[in-house]
Amino acid sequence: MSTCPPYAPFFGLGGVAASMVLSTVGAAFGTSKAGIGIAGLGQFRPELIMKSLIPVVMSGIIAVYGLVVSVLIAGGLRPTDYSLYAGFVHLGAGLACGFTGLAAGYAIGYVGDSCVRAYVYESKVFVAMVLILIFGEVLGLYGLIVALIMNSRATEAPRCI
Amino acid sequence: MSEQIAASKITAQAAAQGSALLKLLIFSLALAVVPISSYFLSRDYVWGGNATWAALTAAGSAQLILVAFIVVSVVEDRREQAAKEPKEHKKHR
Repeated sequence: MSTCPPYAPFFGLGGVAASMVLSTVGAAFGTSKAGIGIAGLGQFRPELIMKSLIPVVMSGIIAVYGLVVSVLIAGGLRPTDYSLYAGFVHLGAGLACGFTGLAAGYAIGYVGDSCVRAYVYESKVFVAMVLILIFGEVLGLYGLIVALIMNSRATEAPRCI
Repeated sequence: MSEQIAASKITAQAAAQGSALLKLLIFSLALAVVPISSYFLSRDYVWGGNATWAALTAAGSAQLILVAFIVVSVVEDRREQAAKEPKEHKKHR
């Protein structure tokens, strides 16, 4: 068994793709669900639209987390001298960031939709909405941190020359 | 007289929409450009090649853009409310 088989980059590239794709799915869900609420609210209270766009911005940040982790992992990929251990580490990092981004986008979407609709009737909902959204967003941040920690372990992978 | 009031309302709405659209465009561009550029620039010039700190810098810059957006939206809302109140006082008289 070789430490650096030729199929090792498959897992690393899978991590790059997983991070970007899954976090984007979460961000898309969050953006669309919150956008539905904003479209409903904007019909009769257009002055509240700017404040109601906060869930959409937070969903965009989830996609930024996935992008940053993808770029980070892709920077450590090599065609040769790339061990299977490094491939698994990169795959794990990408999956960690991707699935937590999916979860965060899901939460932001539902919270954004309901809270912007409630904000029309009660303005004190705004602070509660921002707090709940922040708690939903740190789910993606935890995935980013775990991905960063895992990726830093990939540099101690064995070299095969 | 009422046509003039309606016309001034429409132009005020259009002006408000124009500035709101500009703010949204600026924030969208910022969210697209700032995190990834801060990743590469901080990795090469600030952290001496350490990619982990550069990724944390990028995530932090994205959070800063979010905070700036929240502040801008709250300030604009307060300004609109302050502008509305004198007009309502004038109406009630």
